[in-house]
Amino acid sequence: MAEKFLELIGLSTRFGKVTALDDVSLDVARGEVVCIIGPSGCGKSTLLRAANWLTPPDAGTVRLNGSVVGSAPERRVTGAHIRALNSNRAQIGMVFQQFNVWPHMTALENVTRAQVVVLRRDRAEAEAKARQTLADVGLSDKLDAWPDMLSGGQKQRLGIARALAMDPALMLLDEPTSALDPELVAEVLNVLKRLAAAQMTMLIVTHELGFAAQVADRIIFMEAGKIVEEGPPSQLLHSPRTERLKAFLDKLSLTALPREHAHDPV
Amino acid sequence: MSLDFSIFIDYGPRILLGFWLTIKIVVLAIALGLPLGALLALARRSRFRLLSWAALAFIELFRNTPFIIQVFLLYYVLPFYGLRLPAEQVGVLALAAFGSAYFAEVIRGGIDAVPAGQLDSARAIGMSDLQAMRHIVLPQSLAIILPPLTNQMLSLIKESAILSTITVQEMTMTAIRVQGETFRPFEAFIMIAALYWLLNEVVAIAMRALERRWTTRPAKGGA
Repeated sequence: MAEKFLELIGLSTRFGKVTALDDVSLDVARGEVVCIIGPSGCGKSTLLRAANWLTPPDAGTVRLNGSVVGSAPERRVTGAHIRALNSNRAQIGMVFQQFNVWPHMTALENVTRAQVVVLRRDRAEAEAKARQTLADVGLSDKLDAWPDMLSGGQKQRLGIARALAMDPALMLLDEPTSALDPELVAEVLNVLKRLAAAQMTMLIVTHELGFAAQVADRIIFMEAGKIVEEGPPSQLLHSPRTERLKAFLDKLSLTALPREHAHDPV
Repeated sequence: MSLDFSIFIDYGPRILLGFWLTIKIVVLAIALGLPLGALLALARRSRFRLLSWAALAFIELFRNTPFIIQVFLLYYVLPFYGLRLPAEQVGVLALAAFGSAYFAEVIRGGIDAVPAGQLDSARAIGMSDLQAMRHIVLPQSLAIILPPLTNQMLSLIKESAILSTITVQEMTMTAIRVQGETFRPFEAFIMIAALYWLLNEVVAIAMRALERRWTTRPAKGGA
């Protein structure tokens, strides 16, 4: 990975006595799909939320395409800092476990509003873009629907469309299928697979090992706020080097893994 | 005790004049108090400690002391500091300050009731704090804020009667005078009770209409 696109440098976060991130560094190249796995409480969501400075770490720096998203500890937060952060965030799409779609707007407005408010796109242009993006995630027939009329899978696809309509350079996905009924998981994963195939740069926290095996260029295994092991899916999932990863994979029971997949070594 | 209807006819116009001043005072007090309350609510949530403490001190002061004492303090103490304002203006300021403390708590409660994930998603997509408030948080807070806000407006209207104690010629003061001249307390006070009731009903109905308009959505959609 020669080109550094997203750089997470020396991130540390403590919540009271708990160390959520312990000096974590990670580079993601343009077009790369990186999946983060690990037991709950290992810091993977905190890492993702540090990447767009939603939960600023106590120490460390995040850069996107050379531009500083955030650097801690911050001495003084100026208006210029905040404007730069907001413009970086506009380029970083985020998808949440609990969807966090906006219940007081129709599906179309959910996908339109930030384009108008943040990117200052003309409303007609933004709505056209929203229609296109909603069609891409299979929600063409739900333009006027209110979020509470949508299924979990539809809500999550709406959340993805909302992020994609901003033409993000990077997508952060925080357990995008964890809150879904099992039969709704596939529809969301299919959208993400198509994104991966279209070379979208993605950092994905997930428990779906089969999905990770399919889309990830690299998998990161985290535990206790540290990156314990990383590598291509074939290596990481089938021949883990550390005992801790082995134990984690055993616990998840490998039945969830497809027997054969593209990344299998010969 | 039988009613003397001639009192209504003879003194009705004077009472209505007082009613008009009451309306002007409460409308001004609400127009000043609401934005002040919104600012206090935002200041309470500010990451600047000094600002949030100052807002908290203001709110607590006005919530935990009797309104009549606040009015006396402003009316009798301000002149010692060279600020000599007409009683009506002191009344408007006192009511606005008193109201804003309650409005602030209602608004803050409404903002806090919106799930944190809503603010997360607004900020993650690049909205400034102000844009996130305006487009995402406040619209969702309205349904929570409006009913208790209405209650606070009604109590502010009723508290305006206290301004009679600092010589403001509003409705209660007028009724006291009429009673003094006619020795007919029943007629004088039943008139203004009815008018307070009327004013409060109008405000409550207007607020309910606003609630319906802002918080229910048009009946269209997919599914």
